[in-house]
Amino acid sequence: MKSKAWTEKFMQGVFFVAACASVLAVALICVFLFANGIPAMKEIGFIKFLTGDVWRPSSEQFGILSMIVGSLYVTAGAIIFGVPIGILTSVFMAMYCPKRIYKPLKAATELLAGIPSVIYGFFGLVVVVPLVRDFGNVLYRAGIVEKAGDGNSILTASLILGIMILPTIIGTTESAMRAVPSHYYQGSLALGATKERSIFRVIIPAAKSGVVAGIVLGIGRAIGETMAVIMIAGNQPRITGSILQGIRTLTGNIVIEMGYATGLHREALIATGVVLFVFILIINFSVALLKRGADHE
Amino acid sequence: MKMKKFIAVLSIASMMAVAAVGCGSKDGEDAGTDKGSEGSWDAASAISVVSREEGSGTRGAFTELFGVVDEDDNDMTTLDAQTTNNTSVMMTTVSENEYAIGYISLGSLDESLVKAVKIDGAEATAENIENGSYKVSRPFNVAMKPDLDNPVATDFMAFIMSTEGQEVVSGEGYIPVAEVEAYAGTAPEGSCVVGGSSSVSPLMEKLIEAYKEVNPNASIELQTTDSTTGMTSAIEGSYDIGMASRELKDEEAAELEGTVIATDGIAVIVNKDNPTDDLSVDQVKSIYVGDVTTWDAV
Repeated sequence: MKSKAWTEKFMQGVFFVAACASVLAVALICVFLFANGIPAMKEIGFIKFLTGDVWRPSSEQFGILSMIVGSLYVTAGAIIFGVPIGILTSVFMAMYCPKRIYKPLKAATELLAGIPSVIYGFFGLVVVVPLVRDFGNVLYRAGIVEKAGDGNSILTASLILGIMILPTIIGTTESAMRAVPSHYYQGSLALGATKERSIFRVIIPAAKSGVVAGIVLGIGRAIGETMAVIMIAGNQPRITGSILQGIRTLTGNIVIEMGYATGLHREALIATGVVLFVFILIINFSVALLKRGADHE
Repeated sequence: MKMKKFIAVLSIASMMAVAAVGCGSKDGEDAGTDKGSEGSWDAASAISVVSREEGSGTRGAFTELFGVVDEDDNDMTTLDAQTTNNTSVMMTTVSENEYAIGYISLGSLDESLVKAVKIDGAEATAENIENGSYKVSRPFNVAMKPDLDNPVATDFMAFIMSTEGQEVVSGEGYIPVAEVEAYAGTAPEGSCVVGGSSSVSPLMEKLIEAYKEVNPNASIELQTTDSTTGMTSAIEGSYDIGMASRELKDEEAAELEGTVIATDGIAVIVNKDNPTDDLSVDQVKSIYVGDVTTWDAV
């Protein structure tokens, strides 16, 4: 008896330590980021750092506004492409899909999540960039745009990111829709609603919190994606009004310049990481808020 | 009802996307307005300027040698230039875009993908750099602590700076250091770690191979990172020898002893369909500063 109680206690301790590891990791990353980033921000000046739109480290100009805007552009673009496709795919998978097609479809979406981002980047560079360049030329010749762009653009990055966030959105949305009790759907059909109407007016609203969580997780993935984006986004640190032109994202800025940066330049890149981290915190916080809101309903 | 609304939202979203294309592009960008149809060269097209990231050894050397700097030596590369931190992305971009221009290390140049232009009439070759007609080159540095106590590292350095080592350098298409003597090392047993710049790394790999033939007792590990990591790791002691594709910064030179082991040219590359064969230093400069944005204005 006694020894059993002891092993129980011991194993409890092991589990506790395991649980602490992730908390500790987050805490250490926070400390590292803020301890290195905040002094740099102070040295540059908070306002100058966040709202300056000139990034020329060699002449000591560190303004990351263009990168913040860039990250927001490509994330928004990824949502425009990824969310409708993702939600419609999960509707098909949860409600319409014949068993024969389901398995390969499911395997394909899961495989999509497993492809390394550098492969997405290379695919984008070799396949999507020339397509977008041609698209830009067509628009340019038709007189719709003033500049055709060279293919490395917000549009390209958005397309690739849209594909990359699909598995996240499909996975969570599909399981949320499957978790909706089947009598909701049957009840709706019994009341005379069509299949489509039942899905979009009954099932999806009932699965709302899962769908929203999937979208927000997708946003997190899109904003944090680095490798694929730096290969196809052009990485110009300036604000642009056209989706056929390139931009640089926060993550891209860190990776591109970290290798050779020294002194204040290096610290400014860590400070860029702080801004990115704050973005992710805001996203996670809003997920928590949304979930709480959904629970109250 | 809801279905209709949903479709309406979708179509509005797509219309907005099209509208964004329509009313955008107010920014001046000189990146690739290749309005010419596929395959045919249109000189009125805008130049797609491709550049390396700030702080890169290649970019530093390029901007300095072509004068893409202002009076205070600040980098003046146009903000509209695409940026990449990778030689192969640079080559892929230039080989896919007819109107692109970029620059890479002469040692990494793959002439089956892109075309290197002559600068002021001189072709980008090792011979021309050596005889001074091609002026765009930079040093490859290795650095170690002055008080480093590792016989293998010291001996390997002696090998690099010997006739045998410099033969490898010239064999790989880089420009060797002028005055060297035959290798007279002791071939000690042991190991050492070499690491740093990815530009120097391909050359270092060959040097290590050659060194192993004269000294089979030594084991040398090569780690490919970047110039700054190479220098900081050499200072911290995790690398015995650090590699940098640029001059040592003052704070690094205070701790390390740098040695130039080779000179590397920087090739200005364009697409193979680009009829331009010859550019002057001033022309390259005006392209990279952003004064000239179309190929017919060059």
